[in-house]
Amino acid sequence: MTELKPICALGGAEPASRRIGALSLREDAGLGLASLALRAGAPAPALGLVLPGPGGWAEGAGLAAFWTGAGQWMLEFPGGAGRDLAAELAGPGLSVTEQTDGFTAFEIQGPAAELVALLEKLVNVDARRFGPGSATRTGFHHMSVFVIRRAPDRLAVLGMRSAAGTIWHALVEAAERQEVPA
Amino acid sequence: MTRLSGGLIDRSRSLTFTFDGKTYQGHAGDTLASALLANDVRLMGRSFKYHRPRGVIASGSEEPNALVELRGGAWQEPNTRATVAELFDGLAARSQNKVGSLGFDLLAVNDLLSPFFSAGFYYKTFMWPRAFWEKLYEPAIRRAAGLGSLTHEPDPDAYDAGFLHCDLLVIGGGAAGLTAALTAARAGAQVILADEDFRLGGRLLAESAPLDRPATDWIAGIEAEFAGLPNLRVMRRTTVWGAFDHGIYGAVERVSDHLASPGKRVRQTLWRITTKRAILASGATERHIPFADNDRPGVMLSGAMRAYANRWAVSPAKRVAIFTNNDDGHRTARDLLAKGVEIAAVIDPRPAASGAGYRTIQGHVTGTKGRLGLSRIEVTANGRSEWIDCGALGVSGGWNPNIQIASHHRGRPVWHDGLQAFVAGPGGPVGLIPAGATSGQSSTAQALVSGAKAAQAALADLGITATLPDLPQAEDQALNLKPLWHVPGKSRAWVDFQNDVTVKDIKLAYQENMRPVEHLKRWTTLGMATDQGKTSNVTGLAVMAELTGQSIQSTGTTIFRPPYTPVALSVLGGGDTGTHFRPRRLTPTHDWASRQGAVFVEVGQWMRAQYFPRAGETTWRQTVDREVLATRTGVGICDVTTLGKIDVQGADAGEFLDRVYCNAMKSLKVGMVRYGLMLREDGFAWDDGTCARLAETQYVVTTTTANAGTIYRHLEFCRQCLWPELDVQLISTTDAWAQLSVAGPNARKLLQRVVDGFDLSNESFPFMACANLTVCGGLRARLFRISFSGELAYEIAVPARYGNALIERLIDIGADLGATPYGTETLGVLRIEKGHAAGNELNGQTTAQMLGMGRMVSTKKDSIGAVLSRREGLVAERRVLVGLQPVDASQPVVAGSHLFAEGAAQDTASDQGWITSACYSPHVGSAIGLGYLDNGDAQLGEQIVAANPLQAQQVVLRVVSPHFVDPEGGRVRD
Repeated sequence: MTELKPICALGGAEPASRRIGALSLREDAGLGLASLALRAGAPAPALGLVLPGPGGWAEGAGLAAFWTGAGQWMLEFPGGAGRDLAAELAGPGLSVTEQTDGFTAFEIQGPAAELVALLEKLVNVDARRFGPGSATRTGFHHMSVFVIRRAPDRLAVLGMRSAAGTIWHALVEAAERQEVPA
Repeated sequence: MTRLSGGLIDRSRSLTFTFDGKTYQGHAGDTLASALLANDVRLMGRSFKYHRPRGVIASGSEEPNALVELRGGAWQEPNTRATVAELFDGLAARSQNKVGSLGFDLLAVNDLLSPFFSAGFYYKTFMWPRAFWEKLYEPAIRRAAGLGSLTHEPDPDAYDAGFLHCDLLVIGGGAAGLTAALTAARAGAQVILADEDFRLGGRLLAESAPLDRPATDWIAGIEAEFAGLPNLRVMRRTTVWGAFDHGIYGAVERVSDHLASPGKRVRQTLWRITTKRAILASGATERHIPFADNDRPGVMLSGAMRAYANRWAVSPAKRVAIFTNNDDGHRTARDLLAKGVEIAAVIDPRPAASGAGYRTIQGHVTGTKGRLGLSRIEVTANGRSEWIDCGALGVSGGWNPNIQIASHHRGRPVWHDGLQAFVAGPGGPVGLIPAGATSGQSSTAQALVSGAKAAQAALADLGITATLPDLPQAEDQALNLKPLWHVPGKSRAWVDFQNDVTVKDIKLAYQENMRPVEHLKRWTTLGMATDQGKTSNVTGLAVMAELTGQSIQSTGTTIFRPPYTPVALSVLGGGDTGTHFRPRRLTPTHDWASRQGAVFVEVGQWMRAQYFPRAGETTWRQTVDREVLATRTGVGICDVTTLGKIDVQGADAGEFLDRVYCNAMKSLKVGMVRYGLMLREDGFAWDDGTCARLAETQYVVTTTTANAGTIYRHLEFCRQCLWPELDVQLISTTDAWAQLSVAGPNARKLLQRVVDGFDLSNESFPFMACANLTVCGGLRARLFRISFSGELAYEIAVPARYGNALIERLIDIGADLGATPYGTETLGVLRIEKGHAAGNELNGQTTAQMLGMGRMVSTKKDSIGAVLSRREGLVAERRVLVGLQPVDASQPVVAGSHLFAEGAAQDTASDQGWITSACYSPHVGSAIGLGYLDNGDAQLGEQIVAANPLQAQQVVLRVVSPHFVDPEGGRVRD
């Protein structure tokens, strides 16, 4: 174990979190990520879940995956940020790239209706049709992010680690505006 | 007060507001315009050019005259239409475009000078002397002819943006819009109903008895049903202002403009609505009939006069007259009469037109009187004229369907003889269906049916079956219109109130051969004001048609662009301002650099440490000189994370890279790095970087910071589209790794202190080697022995979250070795001293040959740009990269200066090149530069002049090798 101390994408020693009305926002610094691409003619590896198709996100035991392109997925390992995922997943016919530090993950929890309303302010997806199990890459405040609907009451936004501050600001601002009484 | 009975205002809630500092009272439900009329204020503004007194002429968003400034301080907003400003307690409004008071505007002198301000006057006058235009004429014209004023302060309001998706967007919540939304929502479709008003109903609210029951009851019933339909979203105070590609519509929701205390609410929200189909139920705008002096306050559209009476319970005067060429004008007379307003006369040129209870004159209005408001009208009938006292005149010349949005995709409106109006033509936004008055349906009954049927048809297209709802009985009267486009006369008759365009101006345009509609528009400015000619365009075209003797159809019409009504730039920005105007990317060492007091610089979206000042250093140069010397004598550390990093894997990764780089990469050995140059298709140099082979089927490619995104996109295009047969996979890892440059003679010693048992000796890890390893007790890392500074140097990469800790560790444990952080300024100096090309040299006009890398373009393989790099013009290029040094060491070297032979004329013909980069070199002891010079190789040692005409600078430079430091390259290999 290295003696160096990591910091979170937002710069803190501990992940940031906010409770804004009915919504809770949390920086997930522990999420391990690795991209997986199948080489020519290679079958999908046995990971304990069926790798989802376009627009999909699927959850297995200890990992999840979402589609990022033809024959390509991003694999998520909750609490797996400290693992050497590229080495663990390496196998014949697979191109695996460590991505844990490439992204910052923000998890948002709240009532389904609140999440739908929030989505409408965040990204250009049809919020009502972006149900649990959906994932997409889309524009967000002039950046590219992954948005995942993990459950009716859970939403995740994954974006460039370097832009964590901008993403967090935009999420918090949208949540705060939503909570202003009409 | 001129309040009438009835109306849809809440008389139990009185609201206090001010206009030009004077306090008035209104009621909830009022607009600023209705409340002012209720307070007997008819004079609301001054006209654009002639500063004529003007009052409100409309009751909706088409209003051209009653433009006011709302709110104060930095919140002040000019050019707000009083007709759509919802009244709230404490609202403060001011008139605009005046010098002095609204009642006594000094610039009204313009009206006396009107013969000089006719159509196209600014194209004909102020031509001489030329220099006067910018300093004198233009400012004077802008001062005299203008609208509201800007505060020149940042907008303190917050704005928001959002995205909506639906099956059907219904634009407009009047009779047709309501039945369209109801029909579609009952069928289960996802529907959005947007209306610019704060209350649904459109013209139903303005009429006395449009339905077989009170219209408000019917609307309330529908609204109650709407509230229970989760698939329908009703957006009040929301203007759909533009149609864009692929079913996208722009809409602005006024969230808190109507609130006295908005609190934390945003002011407005910009919505991007993506819809499968849309119904344009935006109604119609009444047109007036130009006649002599028809612009006095009190002269207004007849339908507006009726709306003020029925909806807002107000009449602009106690005694009014109507001038109409259709039955709608009589409806106004009847409604006002029923509310106790005296009807002086209805002037109707149609034979046998009459109404019960008021005097009807078959004639024309031919003049008006009243200094700041209408007091009398001149009526001419059967060759005789009489003056009739009245405080207001309602004018009705027919109705123009609001088809603006239907022509946003260059859909050209077509003339409909039966309707005597332009209707939406072909070529408009795909999937947009006009309904109701927008489609020319003039009665309420027709509008109700039309909306429902339009929705049914739109949903049928989507495979959704919709049933027509039961509709109330509604008025179904025809207009019986007899065209009357203007009343001939010698005095000025206004066509476009907002831009002060008269019938005379159109005649002048005709005489000066500005007859095509587009010329007419630009010569006279007809329809070019903030209202886009909603009340004037068709009338102006008809006048031109009359003059040319052509039909209106063959005269044609101009078309419309977004926005339908003015949209604030702030809301178009979506609310992102200041530091949040665009994404801000921070490097992994940002926190640490901040704590060291680094000065940061924006590099694209990145914030990079520019330099690290220390106590006692008073200029940035002192800091940078120190950092440069510390690196060249000890060891310097710089965060270079921002360079693009792309992971390239697959069985054909080498072949792929061979095709995108001009030099060979397939032959690169595992564990080694090679400098690479990419060319554009046209053979010019595009981007450079390094290519490291980490495994047999894995490379890591770096790009310049500026091109990180574009090169990745290019490589993906090559992979997916050009060579899909290659087995190669790409993914960006720019953010994943914190990468530090460790450069200087002590670099190896310093790194030896952090690597875990890794042999850094020259033999084991030579120049251009790379490896996976661990550092600091097991942290996985990548090490590249590459140099941008000309020193013994490495780049070490660790997972981004450890970047901050790693630089802190290196600086701490390297104190005895002189470990010094440096920023982008020093990075630039080091690379210029070494003669490395960067963005300044790779500006899209340079070839590999100019960079001294002509032979890197391999002839043993094909690659993008290779063939075209060998074309005649590029091969003949003689400019090459050279170093430049002032003969007098105290002289500056300025990037951008052009190079000339001593004594030669300094013009384009004798230009020999230019300086691309320059800096002060503490190593050389003077300023130095890099530049492209004709036959630079042959001019080494010679003198040349750098001309900087912007600052009248001439500096004599010596042409030298671009490698000011260690030209043999020994240091990097030590």
